[in-house]
Amino acid sequence: MRTSLIVFLGTLTLVCCNRQIDRTGVNEVYVPVYAQLSDLEAISLQPPQSTVRAGKIYAYGSYIFQNELNSGIHIIDNSTFGNPKKVAFLKIAYSTELAVKGSYLYTNSANDLVVLDIHDPKHPVETTRIKGAFPLINQDYPPFTNVYFVCADPQKGIVVDWQLQQMSSLPSCRR
Amino acid sequence: MIKLFTLFAFILVSIAGLKCSKQNAMAAAAPAGQGGSMARFTIAGNYLYTVDNEKLKVFSIADPANPILKKSIDAGFEIETIYPFKDKLFLGSTSVIHIFSIDDPENPQKLSTAISPTVMRRCDPVVAKDNVAFATLRTNGPCGGMESKLVAFDITDITAPVQRVSWPVSEPYGLGYADSVLYVCDRYQGLMIFNIKDPFDPGIINSIPGDWYFDVIPYYNTLICWVSDGVVLYDISNPAIPQFIAKIT
Repeated sequence: MRTSLIVFLGTLTLVCCNRQIDRTGVNEVYVPVYAQLSDLEAISLQPPQSTVRAGKIYAYGSYIFQNELNSGIHIIDNSTFGNPKKVAFLKIAYSTELAVKGSYLYTNSANDLVVLDIHDPKHPVETTRIKGAFPLINQDYPPFTNVYFVCADPQKGIVVDWQLQQMSSLPSCRR
Repeated sequence: MIKLFTLFAFILVSIAGLKCSKQNAMAAAAPAGQGGSMARFTIAGNYLYTVDNEKLKVFSIADPANPILKKSIDAGFEIETIYPFKDKLFLGSTSVIHIFSIDDPENPQKLSTAISPTVMRRCDPVVAKDNVAFATLRTNGPCGGMESKLVAFDITDITAPVQRVSWPVSEPYGLGYADSVLYVCDRYQGLMIFNIKDPFDPGIINSIPGDWYFDVIPYYNTLICWVSDGVVLYDISNPAIPQFIAKIT
């Protein structure tokens, strides 16, 4: 009975981890993506851009905002029924979240909470930045268990993402 | 003949009225914004609430230009979404839904945790309406689990949510409702439209395939949809029959 239980558990383990443990072939490994501090400071208004990695949406008055994953926010003017138009792109490094109230846009730039005055949408002004107020990206390990990952090196900057990559060798960090 | 003319005139006026109300709704919308069910930021009154992986944070935005952190609460693990409904916050995580009261907006109090007995591990954005909370339980990729579901919890007793409905879906993401119609985003089935007149006996009305849908915001007469390559807008004057308006990519 005990033997069969061990065999059963062993099989389960094999099934669950088969994807990661493949020492002979290609392995799926999480790799930290770093931002440099200088990237985080630069917020600017740019002409409309095509959507590449569509992110979260927010409706405010006759405007629609859509996050461009990790790079900023598309501003869409929806005041004319049937003819919505992109009017600008707010470049905000590593932005993923957004909310708006009373002409103020609340977003994040990596782990910072950032407030922009968009009273004049053509001239957004950063009013506040609270460093580290939104620690979404764990600096030490990817948000998954039972995975191998390349150990993060704080010397290289802030971790802004964990990307799944194919590697032929296994890194030393595991979770 | 006169009757027919009167009817015609009435229809014209009604249409004009509809158009007006559409514009008025937009104008009246100015003070408050609205996010989707996949959001990690939400605003209720003079407060911004954020959820990172483990913390629910409360920022006062009484001075909107200068948020002040008022509270940081250990909310649970692997929190992914926050959704406000009346004086409650619904937090979706990879395992359960946490329900908080914001009766005292600076001091959210945990009222209960909704646990699905059928799906153990998943990603679950949640929306609430009166005595029901709808959630999608997605079980692909990092979310784990075996099968994806749309579920409805009875929250009549907010301190003891009970799952009443479980409906199989392919790979669901965000969701939202307008009147008695529930929209569910799905990778393969597109925009799924459910009749929720009886929320504990939902019936599918239609699906609009063609895009990978991630989230929706029913915003007055417009359904704003996040799709994989941008935004799609539908006119939902009749919520059960969304009419395509435009796609912005």
